[in-house]
Amino acid sequence: MPAEHVGPPPVPPHPPRTVLAATAVGKRYDGIPVLAEAGITLRAGEVHALVGENGAGKSTLVKILSGVVRPDTGRVLLDGREVAFATSRQASAAGVALVSQELAIFGDLSVAENLFPHGLPRRAGLTSNAEAERRARPVLDELGLRLRLDTRAGDLDLADRQLLEICRALLTEPRVLILDEPTSALPKEAVDRLAAVLLRTRGRGIAVLYISHYLEEVLRFSQRVTVLRDGRVTLGGAEIATVDLAALVTAMLGEEHAAPEPRAAPAPAPASGPAREPGAAAVVLDSVTVPGRLDRVSLTARRREVVGLAGLQGAGHLTVLEVTGGRARPASGSVRLPGGVAPRSLRQATGHGVAFVPSDRKRYGLMLDRPVWENITSVSWLGLHRGGLLLHRRALVDRAARSARSLRVDGGVHRRTGELSGGNQQKVVFAKWLDTDPSVMLLDDPTRGVDIRARAEMHAVIRALADEGREGRAVLVASTDLSELVELCDRVLVLQRGRIVDELSGERLTQQALSVSMNAGFAG
Amino acid sequence: MTQPVTAEESTADRSHGAGPRGRAWRRRLMRDELGVSLVLVLLVAAAGIAHPAFVHKDNLLSIAQNSSYVGLMAVGMVFALAMREVDLSVGGTYTLCLVVGAVLIRDGTDPWLSLLVTLPLAALLGAFNGLVTTVLEIPSFIVTLGTAMLYRGMALALADGRQISNLPAGNSFFTVLGGTVLSVPTSVWVLLVALIVFTVVLTRTRFGAQVRAIGSNPEAARFSGLPITRTRIKALALTGLMSGVAGALALAFFIAGDPTVGQGYELTAIAACIIGGTSLAGGRGSVPGAVFGSLILSVVAAALVFFQVPINWTTFATGAVILLAVALDSALRRSRGVGLKQGAAAVVSRLFRRSA
Repeated sequence: MPAEHVGPPPVPPHPPRTVLAATAVGKRYDGIPVLAEAGITLRAGEVHALVGENGAGKSTLVKILSGVVRPDTGRVLLDGREVAFATSRQASAAGVALVSQELAIFGDLSVAENLFPHGLPRRAGLTSNAEAERRARPVLDELGLRLRLDTRAGDLDLADRQLLEICRALLTEPRVLILDEPTSALPKEAVDRLAAVLLRTRGRGIAVLYISHYLEEVLRFSQRVTVLRDGRVTLGGAEIATVDLAALVTAMLGEEHAAPEPRAAPAPAPASGPAREPGAAAVVLDSVTVPGRLDRVSLTARRREVVGLAGLQGAGHLTVLEVTGGRARPASGSVRLPGGVAPRSLRQATGHGVAFVPSDRKRYGLMLDRPVWENITSVSWLGLHRGGLLLHRRALVDRAARSARSLRVDGGVHRRTGELSGGNQQKVVFAKWLDTDPSVMLLDDPTRGVDIRARAEMHAVIRALADEGREGRAVLVASTDLSELVELCDRVLVLQRGRIVDELSGERLTQQALSVSMNAGFAG
Repeated sequence: MTQPVTAEESTADRSHGAGPRGRAWRRRLMRDELGVSLVLVLLVAAAGIAHPAFVHKDNLLSIAQNSSYVGLMAVGMVFALAMREVDLSVGGTYTLCLVVGAVLIRDGTDPWLSLLVTLPLAALLGAFNGLVTTVLEIPSFIVTLGTAMLYRGMALALADGRQISNLPAGNSFFTVLGGTVLSVPTSVWVLLVALIVFTVVLTRTRFGAQVRAIGSNPEAARFSGLPITRTRIKALALTGLMSGVAGALALAFFIAGDPTVGQGYELTAIAACIIGGTSLAGGRGSVPGAVFGSLILSVVAAALVFFQVPINWTTFATGAVILLAVALDSALRRSRGVGLKQGAAAVVSRLFRRSA
């Protein structure tokens, strides 16, 4: 449903009454506060948006409201009475339904079985598909889902699966509906359908909490907005008419980042110093298209240059890394590595000096059951076949120890990698690539889940990596952390829906500018 | 290397660098195969106390000989399992190589030269498993479930369902490979050589490290640029080759090609590997453990005869041994790093807690 339908909201049939409220809730994990004195009120018949950067505490607040997590301090009130849900099932019984970011769909079960996860409706003791149809069809129609109930849920596309989950939540006839990033998987047309559904939930007096990265959507769909920054509320339940995109970004990032004063960050980044001259082109993408993911993207990354890639989820910044690292093949256009080679596979690209460091280090980066030294030497010895056929353990251990020392991996190279902290594990991933002396480094969220100190160290390492080596290295960084991109990169390319829409560098490279550029004109 | 670092080791090497190593790897080897070798010794000792004839040299050698065929397959199987693959076709490969060898020899080929056919054939059959697994992206469990019947079926068809006999038993092929060297059965010597060679291959060569790395985390291996396809085919070819070696030795010993032998050997070989501490989850494998494992199974089968247990209880007893050995090993493993004495105490307490 197009945007103009949202316009002036129909008068809610109920007076604006608070349904669910959290007051002064705080939560610590391992002593680190993730929420402090945070509060939010959800009124019947409103769509209330919750926004904030990664790590601002949104997920924790959502988990507290939906009974997944108990707060350390503060209270949660449902209809004015304090509640303490022991389980999410209790929360759901009390009328609080959560559609989480991670899809909870049983791929091998039918649509009907997914809609009624606690058992299909029964008639005369037997499950009845007709009854399921009777109950589910109106809700499915409302969401514009034209599905047979006996379809296998795993056969649905991502958008339908997401809508299916929303449908499941609506079938519990909730009084509060929490949607955590519901549109990240949806194409534009489905987002419009969702907008229409949200409008109808208002008419039914449901209170909707809407968490999204897409700020334009927030402005379009919701009546009020709450912004979190570093676990605190920086904008509490403001009427949407009183805020604009810039105000939201300022509330998310804080005044210091919003001011057009770039690079105030105390980072040890010798970043845009004029002393550094970019070298020869190392990665050249020419009009690269990957159907549904990249649309005629051209870019050049030079040696001694750190190029950032920014975008909302699914914007294509990760696909740029994948086509460069040989993990995905372009349908048209060309990718050139140093020496004019086109990447064909991860292995072949590795052989041509590409280091692809994926963000999920546990899954893609490390052998957690092995000692650190085996991980560090795995690319050079096992992948690139450097060093002899026989294991020269002492030589490998020494080499690994040198890399580990230079990156300050704590605890020695004989420890099991799984025992290390997140920051140290990420250093091990870097060490194994450092060991191969690559000419191109592709980094996906290089500091996800590492602490502040390790993050600063990693940034220094990445800068140094770009400048070291024979002729320096080209570094491409995709990150969901805007401050990281600002601190680390010489320039940042912004992608939307598979296209490069902006390039920011120097004075213009601020978190504010990035955030606006990633969101601007998006929903329109 | 293969194994998680023990506490003792990590304190010794807390600092960067190699630290005092020396005999460390031998210590580690002993520890890792400790549980299974302990079980083996205890079993033999127990049987020997009850029936002194059990520990007579001839009986022990014949037990070793009986275990050598499955033992060789288990040595190969360690490579498949350490890579998160499995080869259910080793029994079929064994039988096919045995029958092909018998047919060649019956038709006048020099018995020694038949090895030039059967051994490459075995490696090829294994490589075929690897190729299909890789190209069609089907789990090796399913691929080899199919090829197991394919290979056995070829053996049955080739032999026309009957045993091939009338082989020139006087030929040196049969007297040497099927006989004894220094009064120890040749197949036991071969097993010993394979044990040493493939222990080195798995733990001290690049190929072995690749196998273990892929088994430990296939996705990380892919992102690290490891030659996954090639390594998988090589490892499965090796598994096939070892079954072929077993088949050739069995042919030399039995002086007959029976297409119905070797049924269920694949599961026995896998059991031997598991008893020996090779993980089905990949990343970890022990060649000596697999050999000890097959010896344990063989000892149990022989002991049952000495104790005059009805033959029909053999399978039951084998199952019990597998469970016991694996339980003991995992208990030992969990209590690693707290020292042997505490480890033994932990095992005992765990056993009693379970039974209580």
